[in-house]
Amino acid sequence: MAENILLIEECESHAKALKLYLERSGITVFIGTTIEEMQSRIRTKEFDILLVNPFLSGQSIWPYIKKIKNGKPLLQVIVLCTKKNLDQAMDEFGTNAINFLEIPVSSKALNLAIVHARKCIANEQRIAVYSERLADLEHDRTLYQQLFNEVPCYISIQNRDLRLIGGNTLFQKDFGNQIGEHCYEIYKHRSSPCPICPVAKTFCDGKSHSTEEVVTALSGQQYHVLTQTAPIVDDDGDINQVMEISTDITQIRQLQGHLSSLGLMLGSMSHGVKGMLTALDGGIYQMSSGLKKNDPERIEKAFDLIKQMADRIKKMVLEILYYAKSRKLQYETVDVVQLVRTVVSTITSLARKNNIEIAADIPESLGYMDIDSNWLQAALVNLSENAVEACLYDKGNGKKHIVEFRLWEDEENKISLSIKDNGMGMDQETREKMFTLFFTSKGSQGTGLGLFIANHVIKQHGGEITVESIPGQGTCFKVSLPRKKPEESIAPFGKSLEAPPLD
Amino acid sequence: MKKILIVDDDPNIRDYLVSLLEDNGYATCTATDVRDGLKVAKENKPDLITLDLEMPGEWGPRFYRQLAQDDELKNTPVIVISGLSGNDYAISKAVATLSKPFDREELLSIIKENII
Repeated sequence: MAENILLIEECESHAKALKLYLERSGITVFIGTTIEEMQSRIRTKEFDILLVNPFLSGQSIWPYIKKIKNGKPLLQVIVLCTKKNLDQAMDEFGTNAINFLEIPVSSKALNLAIVHARKCIANEQRIAVYSERLADLEHDRTLYQQLFNEVPCYISIQNRDLRLIGGNTLFQKDFGNQIGEHCYEIYKHRSSPCPICPVAKTFCDGKSHSTEEVVTALSGQQYHVLTQTAPIVDDDGDINQVMEISTDITQIRQLQGHLSSLGLMLGSMSHGVKGMLTALDGGIYQMSSGLKKNDPERIEKAFDLIKQMADRIKKMVLEILYYAKSRKLQYETVDVVQLVRTVVSTITSLARKNNIEIAADIPESLGYMDIDSNWLQAALVNLSENAVEACLYDKGNGKKHIVEFRLWEDEENKISLSIKDNGMGMDQETREKMFTLFFTSKGSQGTGLGLFIANHVIKQHGGEITVESIPGQGTCFKVSLPRKKPEESIAPFGKSLEAPPLD
Repeated sequence: MKKILIVDDDPNIRDYLVSLLEDNGYATCTATDVRDGLKVAKENKPDLITLDLEMPGEWGPRFYRQLAQDDELKNTPVIVISGLSGNDYAISKAVATLSKPFDREELLSIIKENII
């Protein structure tokens, strides 16, 4: 290493002698004899070592050197001075100089001082590199910590006992800062490890494993998560920790549940749809053959059939549409009595045709309520149709059938409507399942959607629906609804559907 | 006059088939399920049977098996008319399998070919 030395010495001949001596060892030496010279040299060139006699004209130039040293901390200072100044120089320079040499300078002492300076330079350079690296490392560490924390997944680090050693921000937010607890306690509230544990597998074979789980957060909210693991290898190549990354796939699962039940519905309905289309074909055939034969009775019967089929297909399509599309309710203010009268009159023709009596106990006026009249009316018509059909299925035992409607305002100012029939009634199983999606007691005539949707629509309105039924004696549905829109509405279908169980 | 037994649980479809077949010169009798169908078949000895597959209680294939065990009825041709898809093999010895909604002319021509 060839150093540049700046030599500051008032006595020019002494300076030249030193320069000559030092240049023999391959060192470049520049000389300055005044403060100004020193300052201009320092400004224009990089020096490694400042070899200085700090007493110019008997005055110490320490304050100037101090300034230079502050700007260039790597510059090594070696002081030369006469014995009488040595003490003062030591007081002033202190540790800022690495060596103090007495004039006349012994070549041995000078050589050692230069070697020492070289070592100091090398050390300081090394330290500079290290601290730079350390700063980089710190920066990287912060960056990785940030990545770890901000990843939109639950990340936990676990040891061989499946105890949590760390977790990222999202994990701590939803599952708490549960360092030291067992993974299965935190995620699943279990008291023993899960039967299939991807973390345990990773500890065994060092490979990544994945499972799907349902976990419960602090809030009680359940999440469907896709869990993947990765081994964390220590310096010796051993796996003492495993990282577990859980991605929230709840929405995907819900969507999948919705889609698969939609598919199931379409499949289960296709038979009914085909029957309806065939009957519609029949109606059209009878209509055209009736016209050909000029048979008014046949024409009328055919028209009735076509009308009935068109209604049924319409209803089914609307049900499918309602189910397929999660929609918000469109609230409007309607006259309660008028709404119920419409429902009763809608059902009356079907009842009359089948010789079923309709009785309605409806007050003159009950004021207004806020509802989505399309859907609430459809829901009430559906309940009424079920009452009429319960009577239809009960035919043949000579019983006189009746469907009774009663409308009133209950003690809590809620609008109450009861629909009571003396039809076939329901057994307990039917009663329990009747609001379930795709459950039907009507064979190919039913979609299993009607009561499911009716129930949902009434719940969405903040209402209640109760049922009492005795097999062979009849059924009574009671609906009670608030007059005003509920503050917290039930989510539309897409979101309220339970995803299918995961294994 | 040749007589055809119609077995279907849907009254609208029974009505349709009755009108269609009577308009085309056949006598008809009807049944709403498997048990009823066997009873009517034994009483009426029809020349041909149209059979739905999916009915409340026992299904069409059961009807066919029991029909095949009856010496007097086992040679009666059966046409399956069903809303189930992929039903071609449900009753392999059926003379034809039509899916709902069926084509009128196709049904009439199959009847014509198979009625003994």
